[in-house]
Amino acid sequence: MEPMGKVLAIYPEKCTGCRLCEQVCSVFHDGISNPARSRIKIMKWESEGLYIPMSCQQCQDAPCMIICPVKAITRDETLSRVMVNHTICIGCRSCVAVCPFGAMNFNVIDRKNFKCDLCDGDPQCVRFCEVKAVDYVDADRVSIAKKKAAAEKITAAQRQAIALESESH
Amino acid sequence: MGNEKEGLSTAEVLRKTRTYGQVRCHNPSCMGRLQPERGANKVKCPVCGSEFRVAWVKDGFPRIRGPVWEVNQRLAEEALAKKMKEEKKDGPK
Amino acid sequence: MALNRKIAYIDLSTGKIEIKPIPINVRKKFLGGRGLDAYLLYNHTKKGCDPLGPENTIMVSGGVLTATLASATARTHVMAKSPLGGLLGSANMGGFFAPELAWAGFHHLVIKGKAEKPVYLWIHNGKIEIRDARHLWGKTTTETQWAIREELGDEDIKSLVIGPAGENLVRFANVMTGIKNSGGRTGMGAVMGSKNLKAIAARGTMDIKIAHPKEALEYNKHFIEQITSAKVNQTQGTLGTPFIWGATNSWGGVRCRNFQYNQELYCDDIEPEAIDEVCAETMGPYHMAGCFGCQVHCRAKYKIPTGPYAGAYDEGPEYTSQGAFCGEPDCRSIETLLTGNHLVDQWGMDNLETGSIISWAMELYELGILTDKETDGLELRFSNDEALLEMVKRICFREGWLGNVLAEGGVIASEKIGKNSFDYLIQVKGVSNLHSDERATPALALNVATASRGSDHLRSRPAIDLYHLPEGVLRKIYSNPVPYEGLLSSEHTEYVGKPWQVFWQENCYMAVDCLGICKYHTVFLGATLPNFEDWPKVLYYNTGLEFTPRELWDVAERCNMIERLFNLREGLKREDLKKGDMLNHRYFDEPTRRGAPDVVGRVIDREKFKKMIDEFYEYKGLDKDGIPKPETLKRLGLESEPSHLV
Repeated sequence: MEPMGKVLAIYPEKCTGCRLCEQVCSVFHDGISNPARSRIKIMKWESEGLYIPMSCQQCQDAPCMIICPVKAITRDETLSRVMVNHTICIGCRSCVAVCPFGAMNFNVIDRKNFKCDLCDGDPQCVRFCEVKAVDYVDADRVSIAKKKAAAEKITAAQRQAIALESESH
Repeated sequence: MGNEKEGLSTAEVLRKTRTYGQVRCHNPSCMGRLQPERGANKVKCPVCGSEFRVAWVKDGFPRIRGPVWEVNQRLAEEALAKKMKEEKKDGPK
Repeated sequence: MALNRKIAYIDLSTGKIEIKPIPINVRKKFLGGRGLDAYLLYNHTKKGCDPLGPENTIMVSGGVLTATLASATARTHVMAKSPLGGLLGSANMGGFFAPELAWAGFHHLVIKGKAEKPVYLWIHNGKIEIRDARHLWGKTTTETQWAIREELGDEDIKSLVIGPAGENLVRFANVMTGIKNSGGRTGMGAVMGSKNLKAIAARGTMDIKIAHPKEALEYNKHFIEQITSAKVNQTQGTLGTPFIWGATNSWGGVRCRNFQYNQELYCDDIEPEAIDEVCAETMGPYHMAGCFGCQVHCRAKYKIPTGPYAGAYDEGPEYTSQGAFCGEPDCRSIETLLTGNHLVDQWGMDNLETGSIISWAMELYELGILTDKETDGLELRFSNDEALLEMVKRICFREGWLGNVLAEGGVIASEKIGKNSFDYLIQVKGVSNLHSDERATPALALNVATASRGSDHLRSRPAIDLYHLPEGVLRKIYSNPVPYEGLLSSEHTEYVGKPWQVFWQENCYMAVDCLGICKYHTVFLGATLPNFEDWPKVLYYNTGLEFTPRELWDVAERCNMIERLFNLREGLKREDLKKGDMLNHRYFDEPTRRGAPDVVGRVIDREKFKKMIDEFYEYKGLDKDGIPKPETLKRLGLESEPSHLV
């Protein structure tokens, strides 16, 4: 079987906190500029200069999907995403309460829940983020960058240890 | 109406004039294009003789960090002395 | 949609609040942001009003594109009569406030009167409330913002606040939002302080419908690429604005020791790369932050590594802080730079004015015009880092004779100090010059002399004049959208063609300020950045407003003329050193002594300078005294001002 399922990978250390992702998200989905409608949201600790983009993780065993009393939430395996069917949804907000990432939102204007749908395969947040604090990659590639960075640290430490050892001799 | 206009705007046309990898000499009336060697930390302007310390914004993207003080200060002092002399001859410009 | 954002009139004396729509004919004439603010200022203040009295009116606004999907529609504009120069007061800042104000339903606030006790405004989804701020009085700029969030229980609140400097009516106190975004110039913080207005807090979730969302999204992508691919913005996004200071100092365009030199020598420790290293060390390799929706991300995040404030978090330092705490007082320590920047951010005072006025006092002290008696024993010499930072504190809290006097701004201070102290004050219209030295660049000198809010580089500076661009390139830029067939010169020391460039830039920057976008997104530091031809598309896709490039130019020219009318009403006279389009005599009399070989030995030629002003006035449609000709006012539709449309 063909491997599938790219995921939204988030690198908070790169985020500049500009919130363009929130804006393009709401314009793409609703034709409206309003961060309250955005599926992605930058959480900020301004007094420390820390910005962290938060969005749906498209969980494999999604709590929102499990808790939904009317089975309005399902997994769409072609894009490896969790989707809400609003014709079935009764607006009880159980999914909002249960999501461990706070990624299921409720829109107070339209009285509907909403979440990241990966823009049907072309996430606008990724497309517009110049620093690539959000990226759209194959799920198994997410850890590669971290692996490499960690490996680099280890080899640097090893090299240092070797240098120290040769110095002491 | 402006937004229906076909073709490129001036800004878009001028985008082609960008010269990545090069810096301009900081002597304003020289402004010669300098292309520091990859990774170099100094560059000398072949036209006016000014020397600059070079920093790299990223690989392949040099930037003049500042003058090589001794060299450029000497050039400035010589130029000033010459100007003062001329001024004495011709009166102030 | 963006066009249904409202205007609110708030009278702090009576507590009365009126909310009105902004009529479309007003939008067509003045767009929004600074332009509409200028119109409101002219209409809502009386001639000769006391800048620090209840009759002064303070305007707070976003541009017409604020919070829409144009790149970086982050700018907030603040305007009032200036307590610093007595003419136009105007300050523009990045951050996140104006978009939040727009989502809360408003584009413009017009605030009059004076509250009996400290108050703040709480603006939330179409409603405005005046709240007690006695418990916030005395707090720093960030303390105030975090306290408001806590009090109202919403982390997403964005506030525009003043610090202790504004409360103490320091005439160059600023208005701040976030960690470091400052509406710095012309003392807008003191105006807020004089009204007992500590803060304006906004939070909103009201939709802004985009007129043509698909096109807006696609065009924005294209627009951003044009902006971020510019070398200047890539450098900016890596090193922040200190790179501008570094590049300018490199050839000798930086004011040093007040105005004694035009370059600071051997200052490697405060060059952008050195600052960048400190920021990277204290915050990690990715240490740049962006204003709302901006991909240039020119703000560096840092923690002060050493000294009494070690560990404190701040942002910047911008190039004005390098001028204020390094070049002008001739200091070279990164600790002084980062600390000074932190103090002015926390206390809410304009870094530029602060550094400039202290450097002036340093020169006066070295000349013996100021003595230990006035400084209370402080050795206020150049290169004395400790004295510099001590003076920042004394000004903010009005401590000691000199601190209290300098807090009044240069012109009033020079009257109190007496002797020939005024001769050394580098200012135009009562507002200190940027840390730049324009003796080798007549175009830039013309810009500072004629800028509407007093000496300033962000009102009309043709910064690209220094790049020696081929004449053909200059012509492409400067003959659009209005044809220009006169001379243009690539030579930065020339006088010909420069008045037109300054006139063009004045309109370009006004247009940007009306739209509400950042100047790093237009022809300021980069020749290839968007301008008049590009904006109509952004405007149309986002708001549905149809403008031709020429029509945008006309709006800009009209708004600049309103600013001129205000200044003339408040006493602008062409050659008046305190209230005119005139430079300090040192520009004409003292040759530059440092810098590149063709920069040394330069002065501005008085006669040629006069001719430049004449020509500049002609383009603007002013007579020789700088007063608009009747036909100019008619052409711009300003013949019956004040017209009270809003």
